[in-house]
Amino acid sequence: MMPLTMAEAGAVNSIRRIGGKEETRKFLKSLGFVEGSKIILLSRHGGNVIVRIKDSRIAISREMANKILIG
Amino acid sequence: MAVNIALAGNPNSGKTTLFNALTGSNQFVGNWPGVTVEKKEGKLKGTKEVMIVDLPGIYSLSPYTLEEVVARNYLLKDHPDAILNIVDGTNLERNLYLTTQLLELGIPVLVAINMADVMEKTGDQLNLVQLQKELNCPVVMISALKQTGIKEAAQQAVALANRSRIETAYGQFDERVEKTLERLAALLPQTIPAAQKRFYAIKLFERDRKILADLPEIPAAESIIASLESELEEDAESIITNERYLWISSMLERCYLRKKQSSLSVSDRIDLIVTNRWLALPIFIAVMALVYAVAMGNWSISIGTHGTEWTNDVLFGEIVPNAVDSLLNSLKVSSWLSGLIQDGIVAGVGAVLGFVPQMLVLFLLLCILEDIGYMARIAFIMDRIFRRFGLSGKSFIPMLVATGCGVPGIMASRTVEQDRDRKMTIMTTGFIPCGAKMPIIGLFAGALFENAWWVATSAYFIGVAAVILSGIILKKFRIFAGDPAPFVMELPAYHIPSLQNVLRGTWERGWSFIKRAGTVILVSSIVLWFLQGYGFVDGVFQSVEDNNHSLLALIGNTFAWVFYPIGWVGDMAWKATVATFTGLIAKEEVVNTFGVLYHYAGELSETGEEIWSLVQADFSGLTAYSFMIFNLLCAPCFAAMGAIRREMNNAKWTIGAIGYMCGFAYGISLIVYQLGGLLLKEVQFNFFTIVAIILLGGLLFLLFRPYREGKTLEIRIKTAKRD
Repeated sequence: MMPLTMAEAGAVNSIRRIGGKEETRKFLKSLGFVEGSKIILLSRHGGNVIVRIKDSRIAISREMANKILIG
Repeated sequence: MAVNIALAGNPNSGKTTLFNALTGSNQFVGNWPGVTVEKKEGKLKGTKEVMIVDLPGIYSLSPYTLEEVVARNYLLKDHPDAILNIVDGTNLERNLYLTTQLLELGIPVLVAINMADVMEKTGDQLNLVQLQKELNCPVVMISALKQTGIKEAAQQAVALANRSRIETAYGQFDERVEKTLERLAALLPQTIPAAQKRFYAIKLFERDRKILADLPEIPAAESIIASLESELEEDAESIITNERYLWISSMLERCYLRKKQSSLSVSDRIDLIVTNRWLALPIFIAVMALVYAVAMGNWSISIGTHGTEWTNDVLFGEIVPNAVDSLLNSLKVSSWLSGLIQDGIVAGVGAVLGFVPQMLVLFLLLCILEDIGYMARIAFIMDRIFRRFGLSGKSFIPMLVATGCGVPGIMASRTVEQDRDRKMTIMTTGFIPCGAKMPIIGLFAGALFENAWWVATSAYFIGVAAVILSGIILKKFRIFAGDPAPFVMELPAYHIPSLQNVLRGTWERGWSFIKRAGTVILVSSIVLWFLQGYGFVDGVFQSVEDNNHSLLALIGNTFAWVFYPIGWVGDMAWKATVATFTGLIAKEEVVNTFGVLYHYAGELSETGEEIWSLVQADFSGLTAYSFMIFNLLCAPCFAAMGAIRREMNNAKWTIGAIGYMCGFAYGISLIVYQLGGLLLKEVQFNFFTIVAIILLGGLLFLLFRPYREGKTLEIRIKTAKRD
């Protein structure tokens, strides 16, 4: 397991765990961030990341991306 | 019989396009009760009784964002006759997540799969019949952009609304979950209609306090919930979320066939360049420079500026005044009334309407950027920079718009979801020098600083610095403590902007600007005209020739002492005070007022070149600078204050925001005047020097005081218990 910020661009990973504040976690879930779903890191912008999940592109700040563990 | 149909769907699913296509020009825009989320309703084209209610774009019906709460309350309490659920066909899995929740409400649902045209192109195949069976509700294919299938979809939704029997889908959750939900449903009060039992059972399971608070009594279900939680080793909400996604993916496996796609879509490829770590900022600056040049610049491509010049010089300089003049002459109205209409109303309202062309061009360009999908990228790119001083990347767009006019800027703060971040954005957006503040800078830069380049530059710098300082300082107060909400935002696929969406968006924003000119500014123009033209001469109230005797001068003299500490002394004191007051009506009034007060008879140019020598005699460099700072930062014009009130939706916050701006402006002016004066040997050491030093110290203290994390309510309660 490693934080999303460390993922290799273009590689397909699975979400293992999502930490952080309750509110944000819930919001992420409604966007499709659930344990087990596939996630691809598309690009980095100084720690902030853009990922692809369930056919949509989501931008996430570094603080949040650090709390998403993938593997 | 009137029929209400709620239009629900994810953000970026084409909902707005569909709404526009269904209702055409029969739209009413308002606010949802008690909140500043925009509410749009419209009559379905070609009908009289079918009302379409556009719900805010939402990803789910959980209670975590304002939009979700608004949508949920409407669906549960106002109980529309049917829901038209628009689903993005290129992003089925995520979009159907909301659908599974809508299906539980006991309201007939029609699912309209949008972007049928795109799906056809990519070769994806969706088995509609199978999907209908799985969801247990009618499903249609549409293309909102190409307007195919939408009429039929609307008709079908109306037909559903008129049906008496409601079929609700029952999700195929895991057996253990279903059993638990059944047990919970049995505990619910009898008053709940059968069709909504499942919804309430799920909410009971999820411990959703907001929904349960509406029940007459909350059933004791904790042991049932806890036992399933421990069995599945997950919390209740996660269980439900997972079950929904499992149901959706198993459903799609049976009825959705995807063509293999290349790993990177066109949008992905564009994003690789546009959000690239090195290129993002230069591209962004180039785009903004272009927008600014076209809307507000002073070049041949600056369409907006040309429009504004024409409006000021020709429309409100010649055409309208002449027309009004001949009309008034032919009606033989008395001279005071024609004075009121010409000098008061036409001049006052005209001054504001002059900005309309620039505003419209700016809005048009911003709407295009938004419709293309670039706005979301801007917020993302700016987030890293804005986060450093406690604002979110989404705060950038309001500030960008505010360089044109603060009113739409403040209105644009709606895109900032988190309440705290939005309030901070509203409070700081007014510091950005808007178009109407430019003449103030022009007047003093010309009159006292020989148009030195650093005056105008420093004015912008002061505005931006005020935003940054406020961001950092406000964060040190408990109300604003805590990091800005983590940035999570969907980046929609890039697409060619739709003409209808862009024009409609431009018009909506432009119209609310014009409306304000017609109300607030109209009234205040009349009041100002009256105060300026009438007064007491030898104890008799009459119209005055010399405005030194006007009521306005009286007011100015009464309040001038307030500004003594920031260097407004001597002959200029009351003039500066009056100009500041009239600046509240519209900032461009400041220069006009100086023109009137210095008895300049002719037409004043924008920066008031004609009165430079007179201003120079009254002001020193330092007092001019102090006046400029105060007027750039203090309370914005009435129109912007109105916008603040509307967006804050709370009297205390409105007063707080305006009070903060005035206080901040006063403090900075005081520091600059007193300490600057001491250095330049213009001011003696006095009581206010000490005040200025204390203020500066306080400012620096707040600025550098270490930020203490986590002063939220919950944590305070916890520590209290520990004590």
